[in-house]
Amino acid sequence: MGTFHDDMGELHGITVVAQAGPTVYVGRCHEMDADNIVLLDVDQHTAGPDGKGEDGRSHAEYLERAAKFGVWKKHDRLVVPMVDVQAVTPLGAYYEGVGKTAAATPASAAAPSQQDEPDKATATATATDSPVVVTDDASQEVRRLLAEEENAGQGLRLGVSGGGCSGLVYKVEFDSRQDGDIVVPGDGFEIFLDRKSIIYLRGITLDFKQGLSGRGFQFQNPNASNTCGCGESFAV
Amino acid sequence: MKVSKAMPYPEQMVAPMRAELVDMGVQELRTAPAVDSFFAEAAGTSLVLVNSVCGCAAGSARPAVRLALEHGVKPTRAATVFAGQDLEATERARQLFGDVPPSSPSIALMKDGELVHFVPRHMIEGREAGAIAQALTEAFDTYCG
Repeated sequence: MGTFHDDMGELHGITVVAQAGPTVYVGRCHEMDADNIVLLDVDQHTAGPDGKGEDGRSHAEYLERAAKFGVWKKHDRLVVPMVDVQAVTPLGAYYEGVGKTAAATPASAAAPSQQDEPDKATATATATDSPVVVTDDASQEVRRLLAEEENAGQGLRLGVSGGGCSGLVYKVEFDSRQDGDIVVPGDGFEIFLDRKSIIYLRGITLDFKQGLSGRGFQFQNPNASNTCGCGESFAV
Repeated sequence: MKVSKAMPYPEQMVAPMRAELVDMGVQELRTAPAVDSFFAEAAGTSLVLVNSVCGCAAGSARPAVRLALEHGVKPTRAATVFAGQDLEATERARQLFGDVPPSSPSIALMKDGELVHFVPRHMIEGREAGAIAQALTEAFDTYCG
């Protein structure tokens, strides 16, 4: 695609929405690591007690307009500590308008939850804005596996890593919550998503199949431009 | 209109990026009078690509425009200004876009002199040319039919 800076991280050059408490920052991601996200050409929108910013718009209204036209920058460069950030989502995910059907990034960002513990760099998505869907069959299998002694007290971790025939490989494992995780409530368990994977996981459905052709978890990914024949890896 | 005369990139570096568009029949507008002249004829539909040296996004925007212009329904005319290079022309074109924050690359679709559809940079970056072109052709079908 002509990217000149392949070593700057997968979100480098992408305009993102970073949600941090009552403020959303919209800017071009320069780099992001476990400590900070560095944004360029940044606007910010802070909601007051009435849920509206100085412009009289809610975050949703502000982001809908920002997605359609862009933003007027307030800062050339801004460093936001990741400990304050609940979710990072491409601004394009908020686009509503002509050409939306051709947009690559569906759904909305995980909303900050009032259940968040202030000393934890984690966020909890509500059931309605969950970035992933776990089917009833998959939930049943997850609960069965979590009931096993070696998995007690853990949750379901979903992620991606490089590899496979198509470039990226899904990860499914049982794990405990880590700082920086996005936490999604599942049916009887918690789902942990690491921030580096969220851009690839948003919109996916995790299913569980039992049949003659195989038994196991399967991902359905609307963002995948290519999926290998074995179904274990994908490209976006 | 006061704009900086600074040219951050040497012309020989951006020449291929200009040529990529000119070769596909997009009219390059390098001065403010050229922009005014292009839009003096307001009737019909016009696509305006705000070009950029940014490989992260413009590298997809230019081929996206080429693909989109192969669509059966398309704007009457297509033009381009080069952000960061042809500063006055870019500034003048952006004035025609109204209260739209500047971003580059970006793509504007004008109808009878009014902005009817805008593709800001963030709807280009990180996307393949084909996906951008598909979104553009949906706009063509909506506004250029």
